[in-house]
Amino acid sequence: MSGNDEYDYLFKIVLIGDSGVGKSNLLSRFTRNEFNLESKSTIGVEFATRSIQVDAKTIKAQIWDTAGQERYRAITSAYYRGAVGALLVYDIAKHPTYENVTRWLKELRDHADSNIVIMLVGNKSDLRHLRAVPTDEAKQFAAENGLFFIETSALDSSNVEQSFQQILTEIYRIVSNKAIESSQDNVQPGSGAQIIVPSVDDHTKNAGGCC
Amino acid sequence: MSLNMRQSAGFWKRTPAHTPSVVAAAFTGGGSDTPDDADSAFDIPRSLSAAAPAAAILPETKPEVSQAAASESQSEQADIPAERPHADPADPTETKFAQTLSSPHTDLTQLRKLSWKGIPPAHRATTWRILLGYAPLSLTRRPPTLQRKRKEYFDLRDQTFARGTAALDAKLWHQITIDVPRTAPDLPMFRLPLVQRSLERLLYCWAARHPASGYVQGINDLATPFYHVFLAEHPANALQDVVDDAEADGFWCLTRLLDSIHDNYTHAQPGIQRALVKMRSLVARIDSRLAEHLAAEGVEFLQFAFRWINCLLVREVSLQCCVRMWDTYLAEEDQGFARFHIYVCAALLLKWSKQLREMDFAQIMMFLQRPPSLAWENKDVEVLLAEAYMYKCLYDESPSHYAASDRP
Repeated sequence: MSGNDEYDYLFKIVLIGDSGVGKSNLLSRFTRNEFNLESKSTIGVEFATRSIQVDAKTIKAQIWDTAGQERYRAITSAYYRGAVGALLVYDIAKHPTYENVTRWLKELRDHADSNIVIMLVGNKSDLRHLRAVPTDEAKQFAAENGLFFIETSALDSSNVEQSFQQILTEIYRIVSNKAIESSQDNVQPGSGAQIIVPSVDDHTKNAGGCC
Repeated sequence: MSLNMRQSAGFWKRTPAHTPSVVAAAFTGGGSDTPDDADSAFDIPRSLSAAAPAAAILPETKPEVSQAAASESQSEQADIPAERPHADPADPTETKFAQTLSSPHTDLTQLRKLSWKGIPPAHRATTWRILLGYAPLSLTRRPPTLQRKRKEYFDLRDQTFARGTAALDAKLWHQITIDVPRTAPDLPMFRLPLVQRSLERLLYCWAARHPASGYVQGINDLATPFYHVFLAEHPANALQDVVDDAEADGFWCLTRLLDSIHDNYTHAQPGIQRALVKMRSLVARIDSRLAEHLAAEGVEFLQFAFRWINCLLVREVSLQCCVRMWDTYLAEEDQGFARFHIYVCAALLLKWSKQLREMDFAQIMMFLQRPPSLAWENKDVEVLLAEAYMYKCLYDESPSHYAASDRP
């Protein structure tokens, strides 16, 4: 159990995207370094945590993995509340999962904090010769919509660490900048399920589109 | 994991030979009439033991039988028929079941009473069919009824798949075909292409007939106990000879089971929401310290118990234990899966009250996502069921616990 460890920041992140794109494996790769080709489908939501270091600060990520099937949206959208980051995952080998990204963005707009940091994640990058979504196309879409973008493979581990590191670092940067700007200590380490919700200006949010 | 493995697992060839009419034709003939080339017709490697005795992949039915069958299979003697499980005359429980089931008109009250305490594997398939109202109480009417219902399913299936998978509801079929390979992946039986194709057809046929809910992830889990029980009925037969009847029986039994909890799967899943409210209030009444601790840590029942209700604890205990649990659910007169299950879920949570009260939010969530019940044996399940029964007796009729409107 890693619940009693000390941390400076606690950030809630949600993993969303179509069924079967590899959300649960991204989570298990990041939090336990495990990958399971035939992992069971997620029912409702599943939860995991991991802490990383940024600028000598400990950031604890509380990550909620959600079921991809539409029927579960009514349940899973409740988990967007308090989330400061979202990994919106599609499968680079299945174009319909990329087409649905717009629907998932709408879900976030409807249910999540308006300042949530979103990263578009093209998973299964190991399936090179089955690629159905060109990297440039997705990268451009991300830039146009103010999303960060990365391609990952939970199977061969590539960029998984980087994707979580990047979104957590970005959230940290926004939160700590905001703390300095407002010159008040609004970033106390939370206890239990307390979540720090950054309150950022719109221009900060639209600064995404890296990689 | 190699790249090739992912591709082969994710993109099977679906040959026309998979169409149900062929399956029905090959399987309903049954027994020794099955053509020798049946395997190639179904694109199933022989190494995946389609021809092996069903017992070889079924761990539970008569342990001595299945172990014997498994060792025969390993020593390349898979064609030697394993002994069919039968009632042990020395066992009074088995004798009572045999008598009850073989009487001209089965006494349902007696059968429920016997079944509550667990059904012997040799009698489980028949008993489940009767308790679900699928097979009649009349002994003489039982075989023709099953024959008629199976044919009805095969006709429905043929009709559904008559124009191939391209003519199906693409979204529904897609969801089913991505979920079937990850259904009970740790159990060898559900790795078999023969069983996976069968489960796909069953789920699609059910979903197509129930548009109010359609297929919802987790319903695939609910089909697994039926395959387990119905394939175990004739462990000596080659799997391909029994899978079709198991599919038909599984379809009708799953239909009846889901009829009792259908609003768990309709839009916004109101049945589950109601069950969670009941479970929370039950836990608060029985163990207020635990309820207060969960609330203080910000743990909501929706976060951990949603799956318990949605998948009827199939994911929280082994399949063998789940089957034992369902014996009791089926024996419960008053909606075992809808109502008694809530008491079982509450009893399950209360088991770990002391540990949970010392944990914080993250620890509680991690603990309950992979609960110790995964390593349980039948005796542990039986204690749980007894505790749930006790809570039910204490609280079910308590007006301040359940509002009158909650009664069905």
